[in-house]
Amino acid sequence: MAHVTGSAVTERLSVGEIELEVLRRGSGRPVLLLHGLQTIDPRARFLDLLSRSAEIIAPSHPGFGRSPRPADFETVYDLVHLYLEVLEALPSEKVALMGLSFGGWLAAEVAVKCRHRIDKLVLVDAFGIKVSDRETPDILDVFNTSPQDVLRRSWHDAGLAPDPNAMSDDELVIRARNWDAACLYGWHPYMYNPQLKRWLRRITAPTLVLWGASDGIVKPSYGRAYSALIPGARFELIEGAGHHPEIEQADAFADVVGRFLDR
Amino acid sequence: MDAWWQCEVPYPFVSQDVLNATDSVRASLPNRYCDPKVAADLFEEVIDEFLLCDDLGMNVLAVEHHAGINSLLGANPLLVGILARQTRQVRILSLGTLISLRQDPVRVAEEYATADVISRGRLEIGFVKSGGSEMASNNANPVNNVERYWEAIDLIKKALSHQDGPFSWEGKHFTHRHVNIWPRPWQQPHPRMWSATGDPETAAEVGRRGMVHVLVLRGPEGTKRAYAAHRKARAEAGLPKVTTDNFAYAAFVYVGDTDEEGVRVGSKLLWFLHTSLKSAPQYSRFLPGNSPPQAAPQVYRTVSPAGAAPGAVLSAGQNAARLTSITAEQAMAQGILFVGNPDSVYKQVTEFYDKVGGFGHLSLVGRSGFMTHAESEKSIRLFSKEVLPRLREIKPVTVD
Repeated sequence: MAHVTGSAVTERLSVGEIELEVLRRGSGRPVLLLHGLQTIDPRARFLDLLSRSAEIIAPSHPGFGRSPRPADFETVYDLVHLYLEVLEALPSEKVALMGLSFGGWLAAEVAVKCRHRIDKLVLVDAFGIKVSDRETPDILDVFNTSPQDVLRRSWHDAGLAPDPNAMSDDELVIRARNWDAACLYGWHPYMYNPQLKRWLRRITAPTLVLWGASDGIVKPSYGRAYSALIPGARFELIEGAGHHPEIEQADAFADVVGRFLDR
Repeated sequence: MDAWWQCEVPYPFVSQDVLNATDSVRASLPNRYCDPKVAADLFEEVIDEFLLCDDLGMNVLAVEHHAGINSLLGANPLLVGILARQTRQVRILSLGTLISLRQDPVRVAEEYATADVISRGRLEIGFVKSGGSEMASNNANPVNNVERYWEAIDLIKKALSHQDGPFSWEGKHFTHRHVNIWPRPWQQPHPRMWSATGDPETAAEVGRRGMVHVLVLRGPEGTKRAYAAHRKARAEAGLPKVTTDNFAYAAFVYVGDTDEEGVRVGSKLLWFLHTSLKSAPQYSRFLPGNSPPQAAPQVYRTVSPAGAAPGAVLSAGQNAARLTSITAEQAMAQGILFVGNPDSVYKQVTEFYDKVGGFGHLSLVGRSGFMTHAESEKSIRLFSKEVLPRLREIKPVTVD
């Protein structure tokens, strides 16, 4: 069953016991897009831009958006294995994998485990590893920090942040679902897997690590360190963007990603 | 009816300028504002008050809260241990170690069994779900807090009552492969267990488990509704009816010689509501799992949310918001402040008893804010001598 939201098509994708909500857009080379702490707004401009030459497949993780979360499905281990199954369920032999923020963590984990189905990897302001010393958190604790600080550190221009007062009831309910689910999966250790750093060397797909220059949730220096752990990875900054370069600088973002995917 | 004296050991001695400037008096207020010498004096006074209760035959109750001006009792088991040794006759209720914050319930069971033995069987074990700023202070995931709560209770109960050598626990949240605590508790199979909750789902589970069900500052409607959920769940599960001994209520209580003195000094207790509840939005409104996603329009929009429907059971957060600006008159009218001379306090308690369909235990939040040691001891004496004997005449009854 599919219904149209804006110009994007929302479908369901059955993976084992789980029915995922999936946003699909465009045609061309398949790109599996894993969202961050919030699901992807179907009206987002970067979707329009990327889908001119690619088929974007963006599922909502269980518990996020309108994807149900089975009982006891509440770890990143579950999510990683779910997306390994999703990769197997997609008709194309190879897909590009792109992860934003929390979804970047998932993408890195999947890329470590599944080398034969991924031909390109894009990590955008990704979580997932521990870089600094034990008394220096790499990733802002969004759950224990004041909402104003989180807002200020998320955006280059906080005026571009979604305004809850302008959202429908449904959108706000989804926002709250996303918030609860992110907390459930990412609370401890906070938004990283202590073991992942060691295994990033297994990634064989050409990798682009893309970072908003003004990101105050995870700083560009963390992105550079992340990139350095992935063989051959290229690191690029997007100016004028915080934690969400795909929203704040949609054109520059789509341009860099498009060129990388088409190479 | 039985009575339990409670003092959370609040720390009110932080300047109002600091309190006004901070977004939260819990979890994030730097502990440089807590002078350990002042804290030592406070503990000494409060423990002396507990010992006075012991002399006068009023039970005592120890709570736990973390990292804020509202309470210095982050380490509840230490106070329980002190009370187990220092008191000689009354019962001691721990309400309680915040078990969903603790990594190892078996260790909690060891602490409780030890306190039960030291007190020669005077311990009662209460459980509180915790929430809000406690999650940040203890690194505890707020989303599956209730699951951890029940699993921890199951494991503690088994650890206390199992006498046949090591057993293994491989639960969802806790694993402990070799559980065999020494000493085992004095009371068999384990000390009586209590649970504090106002929400209907948890209340139902408390009912099915036959725990003593305590409501804290909930007023008559919320309390009656929670007790009803408890009874209904038992009936639906085919379990025998319980008596009022299964129900408890905690309120601010102050007894003076006169009504004027009772109201004047007792109003100091409202400091707890006015000043110590201030909590930043990330520990309250926006705490993951704090309210169902369906409530998001009220949570996220900055326009003031519509009030809850009359008679609805409020969430703990909503309840807190309602309480921060309350006056003494309102608090008395709402059944959360019982103050006056001994006759008046007795009357207020029994009126509340009638409104909620009866309860067997009154917990007196009897010292808070800037109330002095002398004022506190005066109320303990008056309550124990003038009010408690009359309340003891109210025997447990079965209520449908």
